[in-house]
Amino acid sequence: MDYGLTGDSSPLISIYRRIPDVAMPPGRGFSFRDLYSYLSSEPEYGVSKNVEDKTVKLEDDLLTDPHSFPPTEMLSSVQNPRILLLQCRRHHHRHRLPLPPKPYLQTTISSSLHTSPPPASQIGTLRKSLLSREKTAVELAETYLTRIRLTEPQLKSFLHLSDNVLRDAGEIDRKIERNEEVGPLAGVFVGVKDNICTADMPSTAGSRILEGYRPPFDATAVRKLRESGAIVVGKTNLDEFGMGSTTEGSAYQVTANPWDLSRVPGGSSGGSAAAVSARQCVVSLGSDTGGSVRQPASFCGVVGLKPTYGRVSRFGLVAYASSLDVIGCFGSSVADTGTLLYAISGHDKLDATSSKREVPNFASAFITQDFSESKPLKGLRVGVIRETIDSGVDPEVISSIHGAASHLEELGCIVTEVSLPSFSLGLPAYYILASSESSSNLSRYDGIRYGNQAVSDELASLYGDSRAQGFGSEVKMRILMGTYALSAGYYDAYYKRAQQVRTLVQKSFKAALDENDILISPAAPSVAYKIGEKKNDPLAMYAGDIMTVNVNLAGLPALVLPCGFVEGGSAGLPVGFQMIGAAFDEEKLLKVGHIFEQTLQGCSFVPPLVADGFAC
Amino acid sequence: MGSRGIMGMLRGAATAALPVNHHPSCPFSLTTTSFGYGLLLQKKNIGRTYSARSALEPPDLSRLAQTARISLTPQEVEEFAPKIQQVVDWFGQLQAVDLQSIEPAIRADNEGDNLRDDLPHIFENREAMTAAVPSYEDPYIKVPKVLNKE
Repeated sequence: MDYGLTGDSSPLISIYRRIPDVAMPPGRGFSFRDLYSYLSSEPEYGVSKNVEDKTVKLEDDLLTDPHSFPPTEMLSSVQNPRILLLQCRRHHHRHRLPLPPKPYLQTTISSSLHTSPPPASQIGTLRKSLLSREKTAVELAETYLTRIRLTEPQLKSFLHLSDNVLRDAGEIDRKIERNEEVGPLAGVFVGVKDNICTADMPSTAGSRILEGYRPPFDATAVRKLRESGAIVVGKTNLDEFGMGSTTEGSAYQVTANPWDLSRVPGGSSGGSAAAVSARQCVVSLGSDTGGSVRQPASFCGVVGLKPTYGRVSRFGLVAYASSLDVIGCFGSSVADTGTLLYAISGHDKLDATSSKREVPNFASAFITQDFSESKPLKGLRVGVIRETIDSGVDPEVISSIHGAASHLEELGCIVTEVSLPSFSLGLPAYYILASSESSSNLSRYDGIRYGNQAVSDELASLYGDSRAQGFGSEVKMRILMGTYALSAGYYDAYYKRAQQVRTLVQKSFKAALDENDILISPAAPSVAYKIGEKKNDPLAMYAGDIMTVNVNLAGLPALVLPCGFVEGGSAGLPVGFQMIGAAFDEEKLLKVGHIFEQTLQGCSFVPPLVADGFAC
Repeated sequence: MGSRGIMGMLRGAATAALPVNHHPSCPFSLTTTSFGYGLLLQKKNIGRTYSARSALEPPDLSRLAQTARISLTPQEVEEFAPKIQQVVDWFGQLQAVDLQSIEPAIRADNEGDNLRDDLPHIFENREAMTAAVPSYEDPYIKVPKVLNKE
């Protein structure tokens, strides 16, 4: 395929796929020597960096003598060695390389070099090795626990680790030995966001007011996981009560992004996303009220799924905004995420908002096929939401979305632009609704029946002090804003109007989804930013949710999967795109996502932190 | 307060002629003028209101903290007030939207009510529940005196 760069087909290569073979200390980046040893079998190719002013010197050196690679010290000026332009010597230019007409193509690979394998289902691989007795669950548990021990000091994605992992793994082994039935998720290590109740582990929702709190029950989603044979490895970090987009709002610790430890993993389910990204667990549960599963999935380069409101029971999920909350899934592949969703979905009489609708077996969407020749998504109508690729979004993110759209077109989709005019109103409407509902939901934390109690002789100050000491500042601000918006005289101006905007958003999505099968947009207006960057400016942080909140207002399902990289960190920063489907149509999203992922060439979304050659 | 009232009157008079719904690009200025106009309304007790502009006073943080039962220190009040004011102003842009005859949606109404039968069920794990209570003396949950001297 001619990418129009130099006339001859100059293959672009992402060298990232070589990284799992190379042991790299975290944060140090990629060594040119490693690349050279890989490329030394192809002596006619020179290597140069993609267009960037600071790397022109590097190019020139190579262009004069392609076999003298620059010493490693020069790499400090090379910000992102992973996005390299592999070019035939006779076509090199002595000036800046011309910008490829479609910059997203830096993630596509030439067919002359072998492609990196698409992500396999870790759940499938694990299950096969368990049932064939190739590995025991205890052995696998020890691998994961070792990886957790090694990476936790830097990542801090867990608030609590289970003491029972080896015991639970032993149980699975015994069942297999006795040839007994084991559940579909037998031996699968799951991380659970700490605002989802687990009876045997503390559930703090990231807040001091629930420090040490042990719920008397498992959330329905956790109960279903355990019944499927999954092993809960620990409780992951989150922004307090789900309020935040960075995980800096946790009262306990700040989780780092496995792709760059100085950056945020996203939020509020940052711990869950980071844990799956760093392969500390196979899959994890998060919660999504305004994008809290989808945005960290994009920042951490993993798959994140927000189901339809009502698909998964909310019983046991610490309530933030009851009309918007859902429990969502993270996985390293679409297949794993779909398998997890199937395990936790279904009607629950303990949740009056859970749907009685039948749950289709999502696994049928994940049959391995050879997608190389046919157009597997022929006729699928895809709409790109115009308002999400406007100004205010990073240009590199926009080009990744265009790349994803092109990839979908290659697979046979009909891609058009759609407009959702009420889109920008969704953000203030969401924050009004979320703050108001949370001010009501968090009024139960009075220090009397559970949680930490302040010392006081007088009831009103017992409430006031327990809450003042237990809640962080973001939580307090949102409760106060919500109290204001619901006060007598202001209800009509704020809350009722926000409800009306919700109707508008629902209607416009419905209209767009009548014309299209799925809608796509970025998952966030930027890639992961630095820790501390948005801490003091609430509106700047809220603005980052613009892509995701409307989906919660409409209650629709959405899938985020990584589609490319942007420069930053030592190996680039992942970008995810969001696919939105009609209510209860997770099956279509998973099918399209799976095909997209399996045919996306050249990208391997394993962060540099995972240095032990983890193959998936 | 008197001078504010006059300012409000001036601003109110100036904005009375403006068609409110056609200024989506400057929501903040609308909000500030509506504050002034709102004060005027309150002072003069005029019954008629424009539906899109409302008489909204800026948040009184101490009163809100009392309603929400959170003891705020004076530093916290100082720290939160501008941030909350900023966000509330930003909320104000919804005032500019024409939302007449649009039904408010309580939630994403994907299904009808899925209520279960109104029958009591016993929750077995009472010990875990009582174990979580900070101040418990079987069978009482202890709290400070509820009724104090006036």
